[in-house]
Amino acid sequence: MSPHALELARAFDGFFAALFVLAGLGVIVARQMRGTLYLFMSHALMLSASAVVLAVALHSTHLAWVALITFSTKVVAVPLVLVWATGAKVYGRREVDHVLSVPLSLLIAAGLAFAAWIVSQPLVHAIPARPFAAINLPTGLIAIFFGAFTVAVRREGVAQLMGLLIMESGAFFASISIVHDLTIIAEIAAAVDVPIAALVIGLLLRSIGAVTGSTRVGHMATLHERR
Amino acid sequence: MPDLVHHLLANLLQAAFLVFFSPLVSGVLARIEEMLQGKHGPSIFQPYRDIAKLFTKEELISEDSSWVFRFAPRIQFVMPIFVVLLVPALTAYPLFFAFMGDMVAAGFFLALGGFFVALAAMDTGNVYGPVGASRTRMVGFLSEPVFIMVFFSVSYIANSTIPYAVNAAFSASWASSLEPAHLLVLVAFFMLILAENDRIPVDNAAGKTEIAMIGHSKNLEYSGPGAALMKWGGSMKLMLLAIIFLNVLLTPWGLATTMAWSNIFLAIPLVLAKILVFLVVLATVEMSLAKLRLFRISEFLATAFVICVFAMSVRLVGLS
Amino acid sequence: MILPLILILPIGAALLTVAGRRAAPWVTLASALAVLGLAVVAARDVMAAGTLVGAHGGFTLDALGALYLLLVAFVGVTASLYSIGYLEARHREAGRVAPRYRQYYPLFNLFLASMLAVPLLTNLAVMWIAIELTTIFSAFLVAYEDRAEALEAAWKYVALTTMGAMIALLGILVIYYGVHHAGQPPSWAGLVAAAPHIPPAVLLTGFVLALVGFGAKAGLVPMHTWLPDAHSQAPASVCALLSGVETSAALYMILRLYPALARNPGIPDANAWYLVAGLISVGAAAFLILQVTDFKRLFAYSTVEHMGIILTACGLGTPAAHLGTVYQLFAHALTKSFCFYAAGLAAITLGTQRIRGSSGLLGSSPLVGWALLLGALAIAGAPPFAIFISEFQILRAGFGAGEYLATGLLTVFIVVAFIAIVYQIGGIVFRQPAPERAPAHPLPVSSVFAMAIAFLPLLVFGFYLPPPLLRLVHQAAALLGGTP
Repeated sequence: MSPHALELARAFDGFFAALFVLAGLGVIVARQMRGTLYLFMSHALMLSASAVVLAVALHSTHLAWVALITFSTKVVAVPLVLVWATGAKVYGRREVDHVLSVPLSLLIAAGLAFAAWIVSQPLVHAIPARPFAAINLPTGLIAIFFGAFTVAVRREGVAQLMGLLIMESGAFFASISIVHDLTIIAEIAAAVDVPIAALVIGLLLRSIGAVTGSTRVGHMATLHERR
Repeated sequence: MPDLVHHLLANLLQAAFLVFFSPLVSGVLARIEEMLQGKHGPSIFQPYRDIAKLFTKEELISEDSSWVFRFAPRIQFVMPIFVVLLVPALTAYPLFFAFMGDMVAAGFFLALGGFFVALAAMDTGNVYGPVGASRTRMVGFLSEPVFIMVFFSVSYIANSTIPYAVNAAFSASWASSLEPAHLLVLVAFFMLILAENDRIPVDNAAGKTEIAMIGHSKNLEYSGPGAALMKWGGSMKLMLLAIIFLNVLLTPWGLATTMAWSNIFLAIPLVLAKILVFLVVLATVEMSLAKLRLFRISEFLATAFVICVFAMSVRLVGLS
Repeated sequence: MILPLILILPIGAALLTVAGRRAAPWVTLASALAVLGLAVVAARDVMAAGTLVGAHGGFTLDALGALYLLLVAFVGVTASLYSIGYLEARHREAGRVAPRYRQYYPLFNLFLASMLAVPLLTNLAVMWIAIELTTIFSAFLVAYEDRAEALEAAWKYVALTTMGAMIALLGILVIYYGVHHAGQPPSWAGLVAAAPHIPPAVLLTGFVLALVGFGAKAGLVPMHTWLPDAHSQAPASVCALLSGVETSAALYMILRLYPALARNPGIPDANAWYLVAGLISVGAAAFLILQVTDFKRLFAYSTVEHMGIILTACGLGTPAAHLGTVYQLFAHALTKSFCFYAAGLAAITLGTQRIRGSSGLLGSSPLVGWALLLGALAIAGAPPFAIFISEFQILRAGFGAGEYLATGLLTVFIVVAFIAIVYQIGGIVFRQPAPERAPAHPLPVSSVFAMAIAFLPLLVFGFYLPPPLLRLVHQAAALLGGTP
């Protein structure tokens, strides 16, 4: 493809990457559970959008499949499964206590993003043949860091689950730029795997809610040494 | 020098554009919000009628107040007019006053107006005035760093702090306006507009309870022409920030590129159309958010700040 | 073909156990036995042919995979036999049937299937999915008893291991790129063949991500916090699978990356990664065992210790050490499942899992007391059990290779862990019983029987390894060295 078209595709990809990071940032701080769900959906939507851009730019049918599968599983199926599994009641709630204050979490998130960028550089330089790796690899790693950070700083189980799911999206966001030809079996299996994981973890949350009266898993701390 | 005269006239036209259309912008916004809430709402020309009526009323001024109280509405009214001389409101090419000040100067002018209004609010001895003033200052203190960061990020992206130059840099190509850094700055600036114009989620513009007010309790004591100037000035500030957001950052198109007067007059409806779309988005965003508690405002603005930091670092590392 | 059948059987059993609840334990046991038979046949074929390929290349089994397959199948048999009596005894103790009883056998079979899939699958990305599914299917097995603590343990388990899995996913996909870039198929054999041609930065990044990600699931030390919780709250039959073979599944993935790393000329310090990661786990776990207050948690920390030993052994890097690595992997899975069976029965007999509150087990129930004591000795590495042989092999190989510092540290940690385990368990077994005692619960027959079956190999393999099995271990060790 022409250098100009590639430049435009990279611009679009960067645009979606920025929105991807923003949605991840939102998942870290959003208080309302319904809000985190919508942010996760837009996060996954940006992953599909980036896959579409890459599919068009690189003429890859596989990436088009990735985009379609991601959209149908993460944007459509997973939210439905989650609302069904944990019960709609949880999503009306607001979280009242973060482990850290929101400004501090945001600042740490910014630091994490910078760390992710630095960490990804050796890999980016080792892959000169992939035009989108310079954008997608750091962005995907940022999402992985953000997801892990979400699990660490949120006490609400639903928010922690969103953290796990954005880590998964991050791994795919990074990998679509380097692996253009995952076998279709792996793609379909991954597509099945994510809703199953969401289902099981959602049901686990519902059980926790039923037994302990709350899904704020961050407050569960009975298991440790020297009881 | 016909060029100079032309530029001067066009610049004055920009100021007139702001002065005459800003009540309409406020009216349209109020109408859209009422419509989104399922109500009919007042006419979009209601602000004109309000302002005209207020000018005919008698002005009551507390005996205990000083000159600051009388002076503040004039400052509030004049500062947006100063600023609009510096930004590309109708033309894409720099006009007479374009290089008199950059975006930091624009921020300074607006902050000066806010400063006098806050002083005036404390001047009368009304209990709600100082409360509102201190809250406004709090929001102001928190939004100042974001303002500075937005300016720095924008100037870093466009390599200039002059609004016209930024406009030129962004309208150069599609790709440049898709840049991640640019997008992040836009989001942060939009959040700033919400905070600076006392919109939801920072403040409720339609709220009527004084105890919950942040920005609106400052003009409670004004009556007659003073109130009219305050109201008008507030409308102009909103429209001005919308113009900066749209013409400089988001959609640097639709402006007059030649010196023909027909071209410049054609830009008026185009810019108004862009503002209309912006107002619809603004109203929708406001409808979908809830007002934050006072001490959560810091979180809102901290988010905007971190987004700016992101924009800077994305640009620094040269991701795009 | 045998290989697909090994997966189809437990999945079919899962469907059957959903339909017929009364027959579920026996269906599960029958399917596990059949899987063990098939695994033995498959392992014999692997020994003859080197690698076994099935389903148009979708499945591949080599010696290391066959060894792991045998382990899963064997522990699967004993665990399903143990479940029958153990779950009933727990019900009697609680006075009610556990609310999740109807889900137990279907999930047990699916969990088994997901672990069996790990060594069978060819494609690296699909293999990652199998690893992830082991977590997903075992989540509710950990939460089986539905108490707040069990649910907390299950949440920690799922949250941390899934986090790890997501990091590992990126690692696997980066490696996938490397293998593809070098023009090889994305399988273990392809990875080893491609290894010298992959850019070092790509391979190393992929490896580090996989080490962190799979390490979280294998319970390597900074990421181990979930492991004692999950392994102490799950039913003993599930613990045996979790500790014995599920953690080994993640470790298996890390081990299989070793030959690729070692063959890449741009990565001179492949051994160091394994040595450091392993020694941190061994050292931390050895000292954590000293202060543990719950005997199921003790065995859980011992799992962390053994994962570390296996990694360290792999990092010693000589063929003799690799032989020890494979043998240790093998011996640990067998011994640890036995330990959890004994611990489960001890918890039923004593009515508690706390070390402080329990004493005189040898007096109140000689059978369980002896089992717990022998299990403790076997897992700590006393002769004449299998782990003694493997640890001796590792230490000898380490000193022989001149890795004095690493091997010396390893020796110290193993000795500390030995003392800690024997001291803690010895207290339970020998300490004078409290004067007033609850009447001893009757022991479930099938569980005792399962425990006896599980004991046989760890005693026998301490003396004698049948020649075919020895050949398989040698072949597997050779694979680890990178020479297929």
